[in-house]
Amino acid sequence: MRRLLLVSLIVMIVVAGGAAYYLSTRQASIQPRVLVYAYNDKITGIDPSLEDDTGLVVLGSVYEPLLYYDPLRNQTIPALAESWESKENNTVWIFHLRKGVVFHDNSPFNSTAVVISVLRAKEVYEKYGVGLGYIWDSVEDVKALDDYTVEFKLKYPQRLDLIAASSYAAYIFNPNALAKAGVSDYTDLKLRDWFNKGADEGTGPYMIESYDPYNQVVLVKFDKWWGWSMVRNDKAPDKVVIKIKTDPQDQYNGLISGELDIVTSVPRVSIQDLVNKGFKELRINTFHSYFLVFNTRRYPTNITEFRLAVLYSIPWDRIVDQAMKGYALLGSGYVPHGFPGFVEGLSFKQNLTLARIYLEKSGVKPGVTIEFMYQSDYPEEEDFASILKTSLAEIGVNVKIIPSTWESIKEAGKSVWDNPDNTPHLLINDWWPTIISPYDYLYNLFHGESKEWNWSGYDNQTFNQLIDEAFALEGSDYGKAMELYREAQETLFNNAVAVNLWDEVKVFVYNPRVTLPSSAVNPLYMYVIFYQYVQVA
Amino acid sequence: MVASLNYLFKRVFYSVFIVIGIIVVTYLLIILSPGDPAARWAGNPRGPGAEKAIEFARVELNLDKPLYLQVILFIYNVLTGNLGVSISTKTPVLTAIWTHMSSTLELLIFAYIIGIPIGVLLGVFSSLRRGSFKGDVLESIGFIVANTPSFWTGMALFLVFSEVLGVSSYGRIDTRLATIMGFKPITGFYLIDTLIQGNIILFFDVLKRLIPPAIVVSLYPIGTGIRVVRVLMSEALSEDYVKQAIALGVSRRTVIWDYAFKGIIPGLTQVMGLSFVYSLVDAMVVEYVFGREGLGSLLVGAVVSNDFKLAVATLIIISSFYIIANTITDIVQAWIDPRVKL
Repeated sequence: MRRLLLVSLIVMIVVAGGAAYYLSTRQASIQPRVLVYAYNDKITGIDPSLEDDTGLVVLGSVYEPLLYYDPLRNQTIPALAESWESKENNTVWIFHLRKGVVFHDNSPFNSTAVVISVLRAKEVYEKYGVGLGYIWDSVEDVKALDDYTVEFKLKYPQRLDLIAASSYAAYIFNPNALAKAGVSDYTDLKLRDWFNKGADEGTGPYMIESYDPYNQVVLVKFDKWWGWSMVRNDKAPDKVVIKIKTDPQDQYNGLISGELDIVTSVPRVSIQDLVNKGFKELRINTFHSYFLVFNTRRYPTNITEFRLAVLYSIPWDRIVDQAMKGYALLGSGYVPHGFPGFVEGLSFKQNLTLARIYLEKSGVKPGVTIEFMYQSDYPEEEDFASILKTSLAEIGVNVKIIPSTWESIKEAGKSVWDNPDNTPHLLINDWWPTIISPYDYLYNLFHGESKEWNWSGYDNQTFNQLIDEAFALEGSDYGKAMELYREAQETLFNNAVAVNLWDEVKVFVYNPRVTLPSSAVNPLYMYVIFYQYVQVA
Repeated sequence: MVASLNYLFKRVFYSVFIVIGIIVVTYLLIILSPGDPAARWAGNPRGPGAEKAIEFARVELNLDKPLYLQVILFIYNVLTGNLGVSISTKTPVLTAIWTHMSSTLELLIFAYIIGIPIGVLLGVFSSLRRGSFKGDVLESIGFIVANTPSFWTGMALFLVFSEVLGVSSYGRIDTRLATIMGFKPITGFYLIDTLIQGNIILFFDVLKRLIPPAIVVSLYPIGTGIRVVRVLMSEALSEDYVKQAIALGVSRRTVIWDYAFKGIIPGLTQVMGLSFVYSLVDAMVVEYVFGREGLGSLLVGAVVSNDFKLAVATLIIISSFYIIANTITDIVQAWIDPRVKL
């Protein structure tokens, strides 16, 4: 009898649970549209003025800059500014702001917000070096002419429209944030700490509902966003969950189990398999480039002919297919395809005869061993390492492969300035831009003053002057500036300081219940999805 | 009572030194390993002010001070409850640790709720069938399940559930459903949180996702249980008091459970206590396979990104867990068995 009662009780519980589950699932089908997007790294911060890393994936939907960059037309398009003009040889810029825009706390957006946002990014950078406020270096003064007009006076001619569309340090936040954070000075770093706890003071189409930088960030649709009437997308997600999934296999498992809607970092070899299973893909050519960098301060890679011998040994026509499984464009020059200043034809072709000639000219005897350090959790770099080892063996150069963490590689890379003999001969450094200028790549990676990121130890005054002059000319003679950038890249190429291995093609794989148009992504704003253009069934 | 308090006091006293030792060793290991935490805190800065930003970060993190002073300051901060903020995410490390630890503990506790009864029952059964085919098979099963790598079993079970049975065991909760239903973590133990919020649907969803990884984690206590109980029960069943009870005609069930089994509880408690502590590592591996957040992913991420504050704090918590679990085991053992003195 007791046993019968027990069995009956268990059956009742199971039936009740099942019924409740069924009912709730039905109920859920008429509930808000939820999109789950898997991102591959923890969020490093969400300060709209100072964040300079993975926080972009959140900031891009919560905040807006004055302008956006359209990479297809290489021009800026309106965002919080409806129109803009420049005067006096691009040394004075006037932005006319969009009216009727409100922040997420419903306070009105106006010129004061722009002035404070720009000054905060600029001055915190000048004071502490924190953030990427150097993008506003040319700004001498910024002031509100009225509630919806802002005037920038520059120290030198500058394409300020391009600067205003930067991926970092250009977002506009609500000045009420200062009072909420309990600070009176916008350069006070307590404001940074306050933002990084999960605060949201933007105008963008989505608001932060919850913030856990290790696991997930939940965004909720901001109904008062000014752009909904233009986008006209009644199937835009009501809520977005940015799920942190660092492991590619984990993303794969999440996608096939139906838990994740959009993934960005599944193993490349499995993409076709996923497509065959009915998932969809969206490819975009990114501005994320991988550079093979020589240590120019250590024997034998300090010899130009030796570096050329190495570069002529590599089977360039195979590396994209073998290392990147086809998801990349072979690099040319030192800025990526589609980015201003890109130079076609600055790439090497395998020529073993020429490689041997250069090796002989270099005076380096066959049998020499060089070190190559790569990031061990990047399978594409591992594949490239094995290609490099095999191809250099053809000319009698041995390669000692050193797998390492990104932190160690960076440490080794920048030590080229103080301790070149302890820095590997070859490293891979990857880069994506902040500002829309070749200067972003060329300064950070190759300028003699850039001791943090120039891992080649290359310090050529002619090159330095060329790119400095080009940057200064961007405001007054853009065409001439691009010419100088081209010349600078040729200098790097001829000296074989480094080579752009590939420009990554990013693949978004997604569940067919989602429509992900190409307008929802933009290579300048890496990993950001503009959810207002996404449709969820 | 006084003896127990003395014991606890001594344990806490020694534990402080153990924790300080862990802080010193881990701090030094991480600080002296390649990579620059200051650069990480500064956000790997770019542009002409990059070096200035890193120098400023060095000051903010006390990394500009001599190493011994850094360690002393760090110990002082930890002992005064100030674990600081993560240098990667700039959020409080305690919040991060609690979020992840509650996930790991939920898995671990649930696995032991499954594992201990099964292990004990099978162990008793095996001891009663010593020398028979069934008994030997059970012993072998115990050996195999306790020694199979949990990563492998986890992968296999994940595939069985998702591909064969069509049941999603990925993650801790259905993210989409939880978002729609406005689920908010309270204690961090989702089974409890869903019940507190009266959400039976999500409760079943959490349960559904918890069972497969918990089965994997439970294999170790099951295997250990079978083998330990078999040995202890075999010894207990040949004790004089048990033989006497049998001779007096006491029922078989009473002899097994009230006489023999009661006698092995202290020893079993100790072994299971140790195995619980050991299973923390198992849980950290298994949660990775099943896409669950937990201490494992937190610790690995912290070490890889030179987040010394988070790494050291996580290790302190893990070692404290070991110490607390061992202490509880000792106390429970003393409580059950009057012969054991603390």
